[in-house]
Amino acid sequence: MTDIDEALLIAWVDGELDDVTRRRVDRAVAEDPSLAQRLEMHRQLRERLSGHYAPVEAEPVPAAMLAVLEESAKVVPLARPAPPRWRQWGIGGAIAASLVLGLGIGRLSGGPAGPVGVKDGVMVAQGRLASALDTQLASAQDGAAIRIGLSFQRKGGGWCRSFEGEAMSGVACREGEGWQMQQLVPGTGQGTDYRQASSGDARVMATVEALMEGAPADARQERAAKEKGWR
Amino acid sequence: MSFERDLLAILPRLRRFAASLSRDRADGDDLCQAALEKALKARDQWQPGTRLDSWMYRIMRNLWIDEARSRQRAARTFAPEEAGEHVGHAGDRDVEAHVMLSDVDRAMHALPDEQREAIALVLVEGLSYKEAADVLGVPMGTLTSRLVRGRGALIEMLGEAA
Repeated sequence: MTDIDEALLIAWVDGELDDVTRRRVDRAVAEDPSLAQRLEMHRQLRERLSGHYAPVEAEPVPAAMLAVLEESAKVVPLARPAPPRWRQWGIGGAIAASLVLGLGIGRLSGGPAGPVGVKDGVMVAQGRLASALDTQLASAQDGAAIRIGLSFQRKGGGWCRSFEGEAMSGVACREGEGWQMQQLVPGTGQGTDYRQASSGDARVMATVEALMEGAPADARQERAAKEKGWR
Repeated sequence: MSFERDLLAILPRLRRFAASLSRDRADGDDLCQAALEKALKARDQWQPGTRLDSWMYRIMRNLWIDEARSRQRAARTFAPEEAGEHVGHAGDRDVEAHVMLSDVDRAMHALPDEQREAIALVLVEGLSYKEAADVLGVPMGTLTSRLVRGRGALIEMLGEAA
């Protein structure tokens, strides 16, 4: 018989043993199959439990929690056109405005599951990008993977929205049931501070400037447009 | 500002902890939301330089314990929901079948509170024994014995002893 008790086996699994004790347990386990079986059982339990709850951590945080944080931080929502900040961006870099059409979409978007695809010969939003454009309000989205910058009516009619994400930023306009890409540029990169998102990409802002009729929608107009399905 | 940002950064983990304490995900989110609101109100009590996650775990755990106590008071007056689930079952065989069907949520929910919180902090959140004992305000020996008993019960319920 060994002097290895359940607490020691568990501490081994939890990574709580010092080197000497761990080696002592290792030795005992190597000599005793029933001990090895119990160790494996505890290892599997830990794996099963952490695996069971892991998806919760990966989910987007609920809007109500973000709203509490935003309220507390008194973050000014990105799309409130108090002074039209967007006019200060962009203009200098307007030359860089580029319609980055005709790129290798598969490579760019990560294949059919990516945020952008080609439908009937035009580049359209799909997946998470499409649902962000459909449902996300610029005034309530801190922490979202894809952020909406501005919502606005284009010259000649119809809604457009600028967006920013890790992988790509751009502008899309509502066409029928979907969102047609007007512009796509590299995104903000990984680990971007969520507050700095408001800095915007000059090229995107220039495109917004070129397309937009009047001023961008405020939070109320944006909500109304969403409720009407962006028609 | 940085307080909210730091909270945002650990929020996914806090939600996970809340889920592992609660009966289901909706209850977990209610708990997480309540903890967040409490933390924002009590922000002056957090000492910069100490760990915000430990502080939050503690707030959440205390809220959950308060709630559990009021549930227990209610349970003395009303039969618990679970009692109904056993109606019609008789004999070890049926009980065993019932147990085999339980998933992790159910097994965790069946643990005594002090074992569940210890299991949640160490096995789900990955805290060290010292950190977990600190969050719970118990000596290390108490924590480890709760971990041993809680795991034994889980293994029995989840049928991993085979």
